[in-house]
Amino acid sequence: MTNPYIPLLIMGGLALLLGVGGLAASAVIGPKRYNKIKVDAYECGIQPSPHSIGAGRFPIKYYIVAMTFIIFDIEVVFLYPWAVSFAELAGFGLIAMFGFLFLITVPFVYEWRRGGLDWD
Amino acid sequence: MSLVNYLVLSGILFSIGSIAVLTRRNAIIAFMGVELMLNAANLTLVTFGRLHGDLHGQVIAFFVMVVAAAEVVIGLAIIVSIFRTRGSASIDDANLLKS
Amino acid sequence: MNQFVPPEIDWAALSPVLIVLGLAVVGVLVEAFVPMRARRATQVVLAVVGVGAALVAVAWRWVVVQDEGPTAVVAGALREDAPALLAQAILLVCAFVGLLVIADRSSGEDAFAPAAAAIPGSAYEAEARKAGLAQTEVFPLTMFAVGGMLVFPAAADLLTLFIALEVLSLPLYLLAGLARRRRLLSQEASLKYFLLGAFSSAFFLMGIALLYGYSGSVRFDELATAVPATSGLDGMLLAGVLLVIVGLLFKVGAVPFHSWVPDVYQGAPTPITGFMAACTKIAAFAALLRFVYVVVPGLQWDLTVALWVIAILTMIVGTVLAVVQTDMKRMLAYSSVAHAGFLLLGVIALVPSGISSVLFYLLAYGLATVGAFGLLTLVRERDADGNVTGEALHLSQWAGLGRRHPVLAVCFTLFLISFAGIPLTGGFIGKFLVFGAAIEGGAWPLVVIAVLASAAAAFFYVRVIVLMFFTEPAGTDADPGTTVVRTEGLTAVAVVVCAIGTVLLGVLPGPILDLTASATKFML
Repeated sequence: MTNPYIPLLIMGGLALLLGVGGLAASAVIGPKRYNKIKVDAYECGIQPSPHSIGAGRFPIKYYIVAMTFIIFDIEVVFLYPWAVSFAELAGFGLIAMFGFLFLITVPFVYEWRRGGLDWD
Repeated sequence: MSLVNYLVLSGILFSIGSIAVLTRRNAIIAFMGVELMLNAANLTLVTFGRLHGDLHGQVIAFFVMVVAAAEVVIGLAIIVSIFRTRGSASIDDANLLKS
Repeated sequence: MNQFVPPEIDWAALSPVLIVLGLAVVGVLVEAFVPMRARRATQVVLAVVGVGAALVAVAWRWVVVQDEGPTAVVAGALREDAPALLAQAILLVCAFVGLLVIADRSSGEDAFAPAAAAIPGSAYEAEARKAGLAQTEVFPLTMFAVGGMLVFPAAADLLTLFIALEVLSLPLYLLAGLARRRRLLSQEASLKYFLLGAFSSAFFLMGIALLYGYSGSVRFDELATAVPATSGLDGMLLAGVLLVIVGLLFKVGAVPFHSWVPDVYQGAPTPITGFMAACTKIAAFAALLRFVYVVVPGLQWDLTVALWVIAILTMIVGTVLAVVQTDMKRMLAYSSVAHAGFLLLGVIALVPSGISSVLFYLLAYGLATVGAFGLLTLVRERDADGNVTGEALHLSQWAGLGRRHPVLAVCFTLFLISFAGIPLTGGFIGKFLVFGAAIEGGAWPLVVIAVLASAAAAFFYVRVIVLMFFTEPAGTDADPGTTVVRTEGLTAVAVVVCAIGTVLLGVLPGPILDLTASATKFML
């Protein structure tokens, strides 16, 4: 008689092993090269300030990606409760959700057409 | 555990958030204070939902999360554009408008 | 477990909001698919037609509601009653003229940055300007804001109110930062507006949470029935109501929540300032009226002091600071703060005529505001080479304008005397009605202060009039320094509509008074 939670425990253990193991392995066998960029504070790929504004190019891409992610990631919050009670909400829920998804698609299409998704 | 504890926690978070908005000079940090306040309100809503035994509190919390996300994006857009202009996100540097 | 029952949705009752928001979505698609050259024209047509159609829809719903009585819409989230519809109609009228000013391209350029993402003064910006780019997203953004504003007066639960608040605010934060000239000021205004707006909406939300905790509901009607049932949680109720009111007072710019008003009004593109000053105030006051008149009556003993103090401060601070301003936009901003104070009188009165009088005042104020800011967009500076540049906003630059451009100066004078509340203008009737309602509600000390403040306010309005007509202009006739640009005609139409409206409201207020007189009761 196995406890039903044992697989969960095993999965947790595996996840821990993978995470810690990866870190440990890279610490032990990875090459160690320290240079200026590597020890600098990481600021989303921007040269840490202060730097001259006019001269340096300011990579805006990261922000666009981050913003896109925030919007589309969070809007999906409505999908979960809907999916859980899908059977009960029936037709009304389906139609409402399609309306919602359409409205989400509109800014996505806008972003795509205006080049917000092009990396270069 | 008593539900009042959650209310106390949310009160503390709300205060920390509002103090951050009022005292921190970096626009991003001030903005994080606002987000903290919104989340404190969310915690209150969920707790009261539990107290009253109905789901409205949680539903409102969902809406607030989505609205907060939209607000984050607008806020970041504004702050990034001002940062690119001035090379600083300090509120004190934004002092061209004076009476 | 409760069985899920799909809510009845009365699409007809929602039609004004649906038209505006639907066309805003279409506007976004236009941005995505229509080629650049055709975008602007398409957007202008969409926006103007949309607001016009929504106005027609509101008129139709008004007739229906007069016949069949007010109804609760979308499972009680909205109320379709006379005050809501009237506020929406006023809002749409002001949004319509506001949009005309926004769409206008005086001296060949509109008031918005050619590429808002470009760093001010950068080569890319110069390129964008040369290529004649335009940030036509302005129109969908404005439409989204109008959609939120339309929901605001009708919202009958706190969640709907919160969502509507954000839907109207978020586009305005962005629009405030899009000015073509003085872009640093504009971006700064945007940042300030955003930070303070988000701060206040956090308080608003906390108020909602507390009210929900107190009553177990976010509906106004259920709140109102829960108010008398004191259960040892009065503190929570009072704090919640106060926080929600603070959130709304921030939007109307009442002291001490006014600090954003002058900065944002000054920094934002002038057409947006006009639109925002008029429409946000209309929407927020309509929502404030509903909240106060439905929820507060059981609480008035606790809240009267706070509201009185806020009203007095708003009137005095607005008036006094307006007197010392030298910048046109800042002066009008402080004057709008003072107007918020006068309008608060009608809210505090808590009598049926308070509702109708505030609505009338809002119409008069909104028309004069859009008109005045529309005129500001036309008076420009000229540099040494004779090129027309930014708006001439310093008071001294307006000296002698009445001699060179009498029509413009007369229109501006008209709006100013309407602000001042001098007879034969809409502003006078509005003030008269609001003060009357306040006296009826027993707030006569407030009325005394309001009359004194109005008299003091007349000083700085008259000062501008004197400046325009009776002062020698600064420059020479050959190089006046200040010039008035030709419009595409849209601003002219808007200003003329506003001017005629202001005069009609003052001379023949009868029909509008009849309309407002039937809007004296909120549906619970």
